[in-house]
Amino acid sequence: MNYGPLIFLAAFIGLSASWFGFVLTPQIQLGRAQQATNTVNTAQLYPIARPGLAQEGLEVYKANGCFYCHSQQVGQTGTQVNFILTEIGTNPVAVAEGLLTAKVGLTNANAAGLSAGLPKTILRNVPIGDAKKAAKVTRDNGASGTVEVVAVGPDIARGWGIRRSVAADYLYDSTVMLGSQRVGPDLANVGARLPDANWHYRHLYVPRSVVKDSAMPAYSYLFKTRKIEGRPSPDALQLDEGFAPENGYEIVPTDEAKALVAYLLSLNSSTPLFEAPVTVATAPAAPAQTNSPAQ
Amino acid sequence: MSSPLNQPQSSPAEASQSQRRGPAVPIWLIVFLFLLLYWGALYFDANGGWFSPKIYAPYRDVEELTALQPGGGGNEFFELGKAVYNRPTCSACHQASGQGSPGQFPPLAGSEWVLEEQPGRIIRLVLYGMHGPVTVKGQQYNSSMVPWNVLSDEEVAAVITYVRQNKEWGNNASAVTPDQVKAIREKVGNRTQPFTADELMKIATNE
Repeated sequence: MNYGPLIFLAAFIGLSASWFGFVLTPQIQLGRAQQATNTVNTAQLYPIARPGLAQEGLEVYKANGCFYCHSQQVGQTGTQVNFILTEIGTNPVAVAEGLLTAKVGLTNANAAGLSAGLPKTILRNVPIGDAKKAAKVTRDNGASGTVEVVAVGPDIARGWGIRRSVAADYLYDSTVMLGSQRVGPDLANVGARLPDANWHYRHLYVPRSVVKDSAMPAYSYLFKTRKIEGRPSPDALQLDEGFAPENGYEIVPTDEAKALVAYLLSLNSSTPLFEAPVTVATAPAAPAQTNSPAQ
Repeated sequence: MSSPLNQPQSSPAEASQSQRRGPAVPIWLIVFLFLLLYWGALYFDANGGWFSPKIYAPYRDVEELTALQPGGGGNEFFELGKAVYNRPTCSACHQASGQGSPGQFPPLAGSEWVLEEQPGRIIRLVLYGMHGPVTVKGQQYNSSMVPWNVLSDEEVAAVITYVRQNKEWGNNASAVTPDQVKAIREKVGNRTQPFTADELMKIATNE
């Protein structure tokens, strides 16, 4: 048995290669990541640290094993570019002709009814170059339009987010609650999706009171049932018939439940970033009239 | 048997040597390993993003990502205007907020000069500059503005559009096209003197 040193060397090389690949390289890539202003639209800072209560809520989330059934990572399989015509201007024929000559993927049939029902998506799933060309053509002809970049993929289709998750989303999490099982829905954007704290309280107390076929266990031990003395508490849960306590009693969240809900509401990674560009739905276009002073 | 190439392989000394070297690596294995290496290189090129921390699947490289940036609600022209404004050309005096500085430089936010229905005067003002007394939002100002005819038609149109349509400043007037700027450049010709407020007021706004 003279192979001892050889086996040792092979194991050593194998393990150190993995260490370089899985530990050192990501550390070099992302180890110095900081809050930055690389959001798409504005010079907004991202990410923002959680408020203190939400930071405590992360510990409650961890302690109750929420991550066993809920992930916090949204995937994306691709990107789709659309072009939305918002205003046709005064010369719809020139706009249609311009778009047809630019060969950006507009069919004759669609070009005919261009001005009806604006704003509308006139180019769907085209290369980004074509969409930008269409934007230029419409602008040159006195119309205006928007290039829309949307993420696609099963997670996006389920409404779990508008873009994929990236490293910046987890910058302030001391334990990153990525999760690996999806017994329940992904929670990466639950604060954006379900912004109502009362909904979360009722859901944590008895999930089936708000989601009929929920498979989630009831976390009723995060709440206290107590006798109403004097006036009812403003925090008391407003439960539906069949879930409400008997008369004269109320259910109030404990500090843990409040922290957990604050944490859930802070989960929102829908800011468009350079690394995951998407167009967020903007407010409807301003009315056509101007505020020029009367002549 | 003098030629070394034709030596029979039965020489006992050579036989023992070839045994010591062990069996030769089969040629198919070498080819297979090279193919594997080639596939690995292709895979890395397609998915590695060259270790950039900004590249995540399904994106391949920075060029692709840069092209996909929606750029401020998708209105490139408005974004170009914003960029020109803050170069700093206009923002040096009129401030990034468009409020100007009291007593020195007039505001652009809510200014009747900016919001005129037709942009004839404001285009001249930007292209050729302005000096002398002027009243903006009921306040007297007396300073001078440098001409910006070094900017291209598109840049001038974009920056005026940015100023006229800046919702954050409460401005909402019509956009200006590069053609309008070009027409005024041709109409005014080779002027070196900045306009005065009185001169501009004599010009009909739609000219």
